[in-house]
Amino acid sequence: MLSLDILLAVCLGYVMLLFAIAFLIDRRARQGPLKWLHSPVVYTLSISIYCTSWTFYGAVGSAARNGLEFITIYLGPTLVFIGWWFLLRKLVRIGRANRITSIADLISSRYGKSPSLAVLVTLIAVIATTPYIALQLQSVTRSYQIIAGEADGVTTALWVAAGMALFTILFGTRNLDANERHHGVVAAIAVEAIVKLAALIAVGLFAVYGVSDGFRDIFADVPAEVITGAGDVFGARWATLTFLSATAIICLPRQFQVTVVENVEERHLSTASWLFPAYLFGMTFFIVPIAIAGLKTMPAGSNPDFYVLTLPLAEQRHDLALLAFLGGFSSATSMVIVATIAVSTMVSNHVVMPLALRLLAVRRAVSGDVRNLLLMTRRVSIAAILGLGFLYFRISGGSDALAAIGLIAFVGVAQFLPSLLGGLFWRGATRAGALAGLISGFSLWAYTLLLPSFGGDVVLGASVLSEGPWGIAALRPQSLLGLTAMDPLVHAVIWSIGVNALAFVVVSCLTEPDALERLQGALFVDVYRSGGGEPSGTAVATADAEDLFVLAQRILGAEPARRLFRDIATSQGTAGSLPYPTDAMIAHLERELAGSVGAASAHAMITRITGTQNVGMIELIDIADEAQQLIETSRQLAEKSAELERAAEQLRNVNDRLRALDTQKDEFLSQVSHELRTPMTSIRSFSEILLGDTTVTEAERRRFVAIVHDESLRLTRLLDEILDISRLEAGTVSVALGPIDTREAITAAVDAVSGMTRHKDVSVVIAPTVGDLYVHANADRIRQVLINILSNAIKYNEAVAPRIDIRPQVDGDRVLIDVVDNGGGVRPPDSELVFEKFARGSSGDKDQGAGLGLPISRAIMRAMGGDLTLTFADDGSSFFRLTLARLDAPSVQPHAAG
Amino acid sequence: MTDRADSHRSHRKTRDRSMVLVLVGTVLLMPPLVGSLLVDGKIGGIPIPLLAIFAIWGALIAGAAVLSRQLRETEAQATAPPDSEP
Repeated sequence: MLSLDILLAVCLGYVMLLFAIAFLIDRRARQGPLKWLHSPVVYTLSISIYCTSWTFYGAVGSAARNGLEFITIYLGPTLVFIGWWFLLRKLVRIGRANRITSIADLISSRYGKSPSLAVLVTLIAVIATTPYIALQLQSVTRSYQIIAGEADGVTTALWVAAGMALFTILFGTRNLDANERHHGVVAAIAVEAIVKLAALIAVGLFAVYGVSDGFRDIFADVPAEVITGAGDVFGARWATLTFLSATAIICLPRQFQVTVVENVEERHLSTASWLFPAYLFGMTFFIVPIAIAGLKTMPAGSNPDFYVLTLPLAEQRHDLALLAFLGGFSSATSMVIVATIAVSTMVSNHVVMPLALRLLAVRRAVSGDVRNLLLMTRRVSIAAILGLGFLYFRISGGSDALAAIGLIAFVGVAQFLPSLLGGLFWRGATRAGALAGLISGFSLWAYTLLLPSFGGDVVLGASVLSEGPWGIAALRPQSLLGLTAMDPLVHAVIWSIGVNALAFVVVSCLTEPDALERLQGALFVDVYRSGGGEPSGTAVATADAEDLFVLAQRILGAEPARRLFRDIATSQGTAGSLPYPTDAMIAHLERELAGSVGAASAHAMITRITGTQNVGMIELIDIADEAQQLIETSRQLAEKSAELERAAEQLRNVNDRLRALDTQKDEFLSQVSHELRTPMTSIRSFSEILLGDTTVTEAERRRFVAIVHDESLRLTRLLDEILDISRLEAGTVSVALGPIDTREAITAAVDAVSGMTRHKDVSVVIAPTVGDLYVHANADRIRQVLINILSNAIKYNEAVAPRIDIRPQVDGDRVLIDVVDNGGGVRPPDSELVFEKFARGSSGDKDQGAGLGLPISRAIMRAMGGDLTLTFADDGSSFFRLTLARLDAPSVQPHAAG
Repeated sequence: MTDRADSHRSHRKTRDRSMVLVLVGTVLLMPPLVGSLLVDGKIGGIPIPLLAIFAIWGALIAGAAVLSRQLRETEAQATAPPDSEP
């Protein structure tokens, strides 16, 4: 057995060491920023106060009882931290921008700096922290008893509580930092974090390689139930515990303190995002081997919660046992220190301060008295919180497994989650919703979990637990409304969190946030956009700078207040005198004060001094509108630029088209000159012969003159056609339209080509129609088109028995005239080509036309509001189709027949 | 301009990856999928359920370490002042 003297000496020495570290760092930090203290590693180590003695001792006990279940307590935080970008980053950003001092401050700030919410959150935090602190007292007391023999539990616990209170008071409340940062304490708990990790790993290595012969030996002949637990380890409880631990890492007041309030730089969070899970990994790596080694070697009936300590003791390794004791001591003290600092900050800022303000508002007190009052309340609340923890330890009898007590606290603080998440991501969340959610969730938690935890005789009688109050079974605390057959913890979580979230959402939807709430909501939800929150809403130009100075003196102390005002005055350009109380100056001052007393209190004080309780509603709305206008302006800008882009695109398209047209024009010109050149050449050469050659006979001369004549005719026709098409395409000729009988036009056209048909022996068949088909057209022009198509069909028809079918038909309000021939048609690739100017069919005929017939025909049809297309039948054959608008009846006689 | 658009895209990509990491971790470690780890047997003397959970956990930590560095770098690029660009 270790001697009591050595144990006490080591303990005292260790505490002295922590004192020394905290003291030196604090003194050093006042001289200027400490580089290494502001490192992400120290930040991560301070977050590791998550691992309390519950982890250090209780995890092994939990593993020995329920197998793998203990890991859930570390998986939840792991998931939250690896997803830091989405939640923790926002939390830290908001906390830094608004000088948030605690989770109560955050929630009250978000919901319009509501004092009632701050009080409620503080109350829940105190009540939920109490069992947790009791757990630390219990574990330190037990571990002390185990090493030092049967000391009196209660006395020991009392001494431990008193010692912890003293340490916390000495270092947590030495001075008031405007940011609620405690450099000395952070350094001390960072050291403690290393001690507890080292101790647990040392005991783990001992369990694996000292007690057993390596991992293989440890796990040999271990039944599967030891690893996986007796029941369904991966069931509802697994999911619930993971959820709870994920919630706890955000909502526990002490975690909020180290993660958000003590955060010096936002980028530290990114390192902690993997380093903290890695720390947890290291802490839990040897838990199962220690538990198994304990189960194997320790006598039956020994408490598995303390295997970490009893295992080395049983093997006579007193040095290791001492290290383990220090590890457990570290875990407990670091948690208690930070938790009491965090909770006492809340109590003094949100409960005592508002009361004191009421009392002190009447008389103008000497400078610094609020500051002294604050320090005093913090000290008293630290002692009170530890006292409460001690009381819980005595009442609950300290007999429960460590894990069970910790979980009660987890569910308690988990009640903050709906209001917190809603406040961060949902603009519509209201103060009434948050109040409703917190109150209902807290009540259900107390009823279903906290009160039953005291056992059958305290607060709730045994009969209430088993039969319900007044014998109403539906109200049994652990099976509300008959929800039995459920783990009490899962039951409590489902009821409290479920009703909490539901009440929060429903009441939020039913109520309207007031102006300040809306503004704070916008600042919190859009914290990345606003780039830092300006606490606003006082906007008072009539405030007296002297009053504000007195207020600042009372809260910050004389010297810091003077410094602050001097800085503000300098920045305003009025160095040497008091600054002019502009809105910005008042907002700045409020933020500074909020760092000391919380947003709600600071807001209340400022408005009290400035004498305007009413927040300028219109101004608030203006500010909110401004943000909206900014968003709107940027949206419009984006639209404008998109519009410009579209215009540029259109310009590009038009330009491309112009260029294509230009190319077409050039091609057309070169084709025209080519076409003109051929007849011109022959005219010139024949006329030269006639002029110069005297040997030409009369017969030859006549022939040559005939050729020149023909060529001139061809030239004229070509020029006419070119003129015609350019006019038609330019739309400069107006084609007079009137009702035309289609049949008459067709017959006239067929008559006109009858010479050709007879010559080539082509039979032309006009399909019969029902009644008259009148179209809107010009008789001459339509005949011209028909003649052109018919003559093409006759000319290029190579069939043995050439035949042309003309089929006029009605298609809705249009008349279609199909000209079908059996001459082989046009190949599909040529279907558009035939309408090109100067294009000829594959079997081009030198003699006829310049390939302008079809383009002209199409231009005519289009000028008459119709069209000419080459259509392909299903069997691949092609035919020309004329489309024209149909007229019902000829109201007047065709004005230009045949 | 394109540099900025690129760094914005890569930042968004990294953010998406980090979201996927959380989701994958949650799905793997929550019922019902975690139930599939209940396999009788040992690898290297260590029971499979224990080993598997620690393996997943370790992988998540490694992923978070890689992504946290990338997130920092891509964010710095995406929010760098325009005049610092070449």
